[in-house]
Amino acid sequence: MDKFLTFTIAGLSSAAIYAIAASGLVVTYTTSGIFNFAHGAFGMMAAFTYWQVNVAWGVPTIPAVILVVFIIAPLFGAVVERVIMRGIEGASDVVKIVVTVSLMVALLGLAQVIWPQNESRPVPAFFEGRFVEVLGVRVSWSRLLALVVAGLVAGGLRLLFTRTRLGISMRAVVDDRRLLQLNGGRPGRTAMLSWGLGAGLAAVSGVLYATEQTLSAVTLTLLVVNTYAVAVVGRLRSLPGAFLGAVILGLAQSYVTGYINPDLTVGPIALGNLAAALPAIMLFTVLLLQPEARLRSHSVGRPRAPVVVPSQTTAVLGGVALVLALAGIGALLAPADLILVTKGAGFALVTLSLVPLTGYAGQISLAQMSFVGIGAVAMATWGANGSPVAVAASVAVCAVIGAVVALPALRLSGIYLALATAAFALFCTAMFFNQQEIIPSGSVQVPPLSLGPFTADTDYRQLVLLAVLFALIGNLLVWLRRSAWGRRLTAMKDSPVACATLGLNLTSTKVGVFALSAAIAGAGGALAGRTFTADSFSLPASLPVTMLAVVGGIGSIAGAFIGGLLLGAIPIASTVFAANAIGVFRFVAIPVRDILSFTPGLMGISLGREPDGAAPQIAVGYRAVGRSVPALVVSVAGAVALWLAARTGVVTKWGFAAALLVFVVAAVPLLPLVLSPARPEDTAEPPRRLACGLWLALATLVAVAIPWADRIASNGLRVVLMVVAAALSARVGIGVLGVTPEQLRRPVPLSPDLVGVDRPMLRADAVEATRRMGLSEDDFEAEVAALASSTNGAPVGPVTVPR
Amino acid sequence: MSGALLELRGVRAGYGSIEVLHGVDLVVPPSSVVALLGPNGAGKTTTLSVACGLLPPTSGTVLVAGRNVVGVAPELLAQRGVATIPEGRGIFPNLTVRENLQMATFAGVDLRRVEEVAYGRFPRLAERRSQVAGTLSGGEQQMLALARGLAVDPAVLLLDELSMGLAPLVVEELYGIVAQIARSGTSILVVEQFARTVLGVADVAAIMVNGVVRSVGEPATIEAELSSAYLGG
Ligand SMILES: Nc1ncnc2c1ncn2[C@@H]1O[C@H](COP(=O)(O)OP(=O)(O)O)[C@@H](O)[C@H]1O
Ligand SMILES: [Mg+2]
Repeated sequence: MDKFLTFTIAGLSSAAIYAIAASGLVVTYTTSGIFNFAHGAFGMMAAFTYWQVNVAWGVPTIPAVILVVFIIAPLFGAVVERVIMRGIEGASDVVKIVVTVSLMVALLGLAQVIWPQNESRPVPAFFEGRFVEVLGVRVSWSRLLALVVAGLVAGGLRLLFTRTRLGISMRAVVDDRRLLQLNGGRPGRTAMLSWGLGAGLAAVSGVLYATEQTLSAVTLTLLVVNTYAVAVVGRLRSLPGAFLGAVILGLAQSYVTGYINPDLTVGPIALGNLAAALPAIMLFTVLLLQPEARLRSHSVGRPRAPVVVPSQTTAVLGGVALVLALAGIGALLAPADLILVTKGAGFALVTLSLVPLTGYAGQISLAQMSFVGIGAVAMATWGANGSPVAVAASVAVCAVIGAVVALPALRLSGIYLALATAAFALFCTAMFFNQQEIIPSGSVQVPPLSLGPFTADTDYRQLVLLAVLFALIGNLLVWLRRSAWGRRLTAMKDSPVACATLGLNLTSTKVGVFALSAAIAGAGGALAGRTFTADSFSLPASLPVTMLAVVGGIGSIAGAFIGGLLLGAIPIASTVFAANAIGVFRFVAIPVRDILSFTPGLMGISLGREPDGAAPQIAVGYRAVGRSVPALVVSVAGAVALWLAARTGVVTKWGFAAALLVFVVAAVPLLPLVLSPARPEDTAEPPRRLACGLWLALATLVAVAIPWADRIASNGLRVVLMVVAAALSARVGIGVLGVTPEQLRRPVPLSPDLVGVDRPMLRADAVEATRRMGLSEDDFEAEVAALASSTNGAPVGPVTVPR
Repeated sequence: MSGALLELRGVRAGYGSIEVLHGVDLVVPPSSVVALLGPNGAGKTTTLSVACGLLPPTSGTVLVAGRNVVGVAPELLAQRGVATIPEGRGIFPNLTVRENLQMATFAGVDLRRVEEVAYGRFPRLAERRSQVAGTLSGGEQQMLALARGLAVDPAVLLLDELSMGLAPLVVEELYGIVAQIARSGTSILVVEQFARTVLGVADVAAIMVNGVVRSVGEPATIEAELSSAYLGG
């Protein structure tokens, strides 16, 4: 009985923490329409900041709590809303998810830079050493504190949302944002407040959690999965539902810890990690129990930049070119670099798996590396001799598991698939990849494919194999996209409601595309031919894949390849720069590799500015060059100038190559925009043409000046780095120019005071105006009659009423 | 400068690359009701969106009391005396009647006054003050919307298809209220597709076809022209 009570109280106190976190999540989601995957990361940052303030700087508890929970965290949330989230309002679900996931990854990286993991940071519990007896069980004050705070939060939120104008307007925004504006309310301000509030609640839960457990950036960040598993009980919208969910999860986890023997096994799976898998189990159960979502016809979002589907001929030629290029580069590489590039090509295959799912169908998965892992483990188990049959079996397993994972979430809408896949990734890690029986000593060796006389037993052959695979699957996808099924996918992405009324079965189509995507990712695992650590299948490893695939421009095969390269380039760059550091001021030196650890996050966040990724923009730029004479002239002149400089020995051969690459990838496609004449309608937010032009020139010059040959020993690596430099220059160039598609352009609102409407005008003003004009009713009617007769029938100008 | 409270001059506007309004000129003189009529898709709602600041015009000017307000945010215009009741029901369906009225206070009137005016004019709303607005009947919802236009005491009131989906009797009642608002001095721009009732209260009527104002005149004259406009004459 005592044991039961002890675990009940422990369960309730973690339930309190989940409830606080979940209410923050629900508040921001309902009032801003953006599901904040970085919610756990907000709490994590707050917990570390609290440690910094309270423990490292010795500020007493109460001021430290006030500073962190009531000041820093809400400010941070508000700034995030203003700077990042406002830009993605009205964007597609995919963009919204990727941006917040990126924020999460970036914050995680940032925290690991500021507070390196090699040190343990205990956060003292509140009221250390104080206990009360409850029914004969000793309960610490800090546990009770969590319960009290949860109660206060519940009461406070209820008051806010029903009793204050601010809170009511936060609900009004959800109903009809424009109508709130027409009422004179400011949705932007409301959104900032709701993000501030959400971040504050995240901070409360983060700090409370940190006082009970050890302070770990990853654990706290991933707590978001527990949080939303809890919030899903209330359909992500209801606070009482979220509180109920919190109690269920808190108690369940506590009882599992208390009553299930960790050595117990089911088949090869030990139950020691069951508590960690519970959120996922709970999430899937709740999703299954939910009635199917009603389709809601949401307003037409921003039209996407149209992605041109290449013809099959182009796709075949592109595939051949890719294989030849990779085979050529691979031959130049030193062995160590070859391994890295091969890994990059492997990633490209995984990002490719997102093209049908995300690019064509508008769904998102945060568990692609889990499917890679399943494919890899299956291949290692069944295909020790590298037989293609085992590959087929592994791929089929992934497809089936993919379908099973997707089914419950896909009955519901958009965001739930992302939630479910992230939970699935955590589940796999706990119950599958971290099991000794399944992946002994935490690493798995995938046997190389053996196809008749060909065995992919060297890195070079592996690279060629991956290139061929990418080309084949890419072609398959182009073919699918052009088929009737592909058109159905696009139709579904554009308007689920219209599809449903046409009688298309949405769920089977969605499940099919998810299974296809899981199968491609599984193939990426089964054919990787290398050793994986169990870590590489975890949720934190999957997130960058999805982010960079979307950054690359997920609508296109080429975009997927760019994404894969970016993903591969980051580990490459961090090995190159292992010893370098960038000094910031005199006393902070941030190692370059740490910066690289959160670049993927930053790149994802930058997506808020152009939701369709880099590749389509560059492509559009090229098409425009042909139509702009100045751009054409400058492009050719620049290329010739570079070539002359190389011929006369002014620049080195490698400098020339690098500069040419930067010029071709970054400068040329942007030139038409940079050189276009200013248009009158640009005045609201004119593109920064000069700055962008200067940046492009600078980037090209820097590419010339870098001593490529002296600093980097391997030819192949040099090529890879140049490509990365070029791609980054292009991205920065687009950012500097600041041109966004028409729909994104937001004119800076004018103040009414400036234009002269400097006070509210009331009915009285209207009456007064009438009196001043000295018009009586009769005069007025005569006036109108005169006007009408003078312009009878013909289009007329304004009816001006003379003084 | 003309004495108009609201004036559109050569307004062009559209959605994305599609232009919907091709140079609209429209004047709403003080203390009068202007009816903007036209077939479905003519651009009437778009015209109102431009006038209330929701949709920035690509060219042309919107003058409020003679000042160009292009670029001023809609919420700021609303706070300065331009009240808009948009197409559909201008209410928040998940808020209660009272909470809906509370949102009207953003325009700078205090809640007591808003409630006084709203319940005074529409006693039925008083009975339902804590009912969720989405569960009101269509007519009651439109009354709630109109109550805001009444209570915030605006200089300019923009109304879009007040009659949409309502029984003729209810429409008549609502337009009775519109006429009262107009008599008290507010300038009103009413958009309607079907014109009978609104022409009774309007001082001036305008016909819009394909994104331009085709003719302006006395309601009676305009009424005669209407059928040809609707049938694409
Ligand atoms: N949000 C929108 N996006 C794109 N086109 C729109 C949008 N709203 C209206 N339109 C188009 O603008 C034109 C005018 O619409 P609207 O102003 O609503 O007409 P009315 O109110 O006169 O019926 C129509 O052709 C319509 O298709
Ligand atoms: Mg309309």
